[in-house]
Amino acid sequence: MNNNKYKILVVEDEDNISNLVCTLLEAGGYQVISAKNCSSGQMLYFSHRPDLIILDLGLPDIDGTELLKEVRKDSLTPVIVLSARTDETDKVAALDIGANDYVTKPFGSAELMARVRSALRTSRHSSGNFSNGIFEADGLMIDYDARRVFIDNSEIKLTQTEYNIIAFLSVHSGKVLTYSAIIKEIWGYNDLGSIKKLQVNMANIRKKFGAKPGKKNYIVNELGVGYRMCERS
Amino acid sequence: MKNISNVIINIIVTAFILTACFVICLIIQNTIGTYSLIPAIFVLGAFLTSLITAGYIYGIISAVVSVLAVDFAFEFPYFKLNLTITENLVSAIIMIIIAFVTCTLTTKLKKQEAFKAAGEKEKMRADLLRAISHDLRTPLTTIYGASSAILENKDDFSEEQKTKMLQSIKEDAAWLTRMVENLLSITKLDGDNVKILKASTVLDEFIDSVLIKFNKRYPNQEVIVDLPDEFITIPMDAMLIEQVVVNMLENAVCHAEGMTRLCLNVFTLSNKVIFEIKDNGCGIDNERLKNIFKGYYNSDNVSSDCKRSNAGIGLSVCSAIIKAHGGDIKAENQKDGGAVFRFTLDMEEQVNE
Repeated sequence: MNNNKYKILVVEDEDNISNLVCTLLEAGGYQVISAKNCSSGQMLYFSHRPDLIILDLGLPDIDGTELLKEVRKDSLTPVIVLSARTDETDKVAALDIGANDYVTKPFGSAELMARVRSALRTSRHSSGNFSNGIFEADGLMIDYDARRVFIDNSEIKLTQTEYNIIAFLSVHSGKVLTYSAIIKEIWGYNDLGSIKKLQVNMANIRKKFGAKPGKKNYIVNELGVGYRMCERS
Repeated sequence: MKNISNVIINIIVTAFILTACFVICLIIQNTIGTYSLIPAIFVLGAFLTSLITAGYIYGIISAVVSVLAVDFAFEFPYFKLNLTITENLVSAIIMIIIAFVTCTLTTKLKKQEAFKAAGEKEKMRADLLRAISHDLRTPLTTIYGASSAILENKDDFSEEQKTKMLQSIKEDAAWLTRMVENLLSITKLDGDNVKILKASTVLDEFIDSVLIKFNKRYPNQEVIVDLPDEFITIPMDAMLIEQVVVNMLENAVCHAEGMTRLCLNVFTLSNKVIFEIKDNGCGIDNERLKNIFKGYYNSDNVSSDCKRSNAGIGLSVCSAIIKAHGGDIKAENQKDGGAVFRFTLDMEEQVNE
């Protein structure tokens, strides 16, 4: 039974936060190993090969992003960044280096656990995502083979580009995708007007989806960072 | 850069005053023909130069040039330098002493003024810090007290009591978080060179994000939203402006007694976007309204229904944020009751593709 548990590496220098995160994860049924600084985090990563890493960016020895780069050299192990920095640029930088998600301190337990579950699920499904050809979440259905999108069983007519964006977001559902990641996937190049182009397309998608501001929508806006599709059900 | 331009200005001032003295003296000499006024005029010139320019150097240069000019042009023998005449030498020394003393006095005065201004700013900061530390201590007392009580006397409390205490810990921690957010914005805005990083933000994404945040804190408060249909982008620091709107909505919930309707309207007027937060509660006292955005902190606006309010600090932060974006902010009472807060931002030029 014990072997079935997901192994999570927590790299965080503040004892209180580290304890809190470890307790929450253990209570959630995960096996937890923890490191207090970047170098021991690196060692534990190579010796244990965890299924997920929760990484604080502001570590005493080396900046957390270095560990992130190290991990990304040879694996796709999901990494959730814990950050006290509320600056968008830091988040975007971490995401673009390869972090799967970020949680800003202070965070609630529910929020953290949801992100952990989502990151693990994404990594587990990532290879077989297209195999069944259908994405379903809370009334939204995407048929990848027919390239059609339905909400509550009625079809939503999307343009090519709009469909491509939705498909890309849904494949990585639960994960924040930065503007530049989406633009690179959809248009292949990145120029000055690209973000505006993406924003206009997103506005059209919202209109077609009948999204109401402040209500639970399929696509979450992460201002200044990117977009996140709700998780598949 | 600033230094160089200062030097240039000082040189220009010195040269201008000297030339003016010279011209005036020439006129006097050619019309009235008296010489007795001439040294006085140059003394006045050296005095003015020392007063206006910064430091000693310009005043002294001006005094020396004046002495030479008087000697050269206006005293016997004309158009010849003659420093051996005792009278000329004495007047030169007097002029240099005047310039030196004036420079010393003005420099001292300028220093004192700067010192006083710094002192006032320091006092304001100290007041702010005192007010904030007082306010931080209150929630910390709850958090510390409740958590240690639960840890030390686990079995003495009923489940219900424990839940209640934990609830208050959570609430106060959330309040602290918001307070810290506000403080962070102040530090961002407080410096002389406010640097706001604006990114073009889509209006309805922004409002969506605001409402999600607000609903998390006040799940039972409905907000009636009215947005324009067009695709509008606004260059702004989204995090800061988000804080402004959430602060204003929160104020309505905390202070507008008897409110049944809370509206968030956004509309455009030429190239401006106008945000309007409207409630139908008790309105704002006229006395309060005058100074509502002023001062970092008003200790007397701790209202009865919200045990602690961040309204004082919140609204001055809001105002600073909007001003730093080059916008306007206003608060007023509506004719049919309730308060309305309005602020404007510039929208991005529409580019037709």
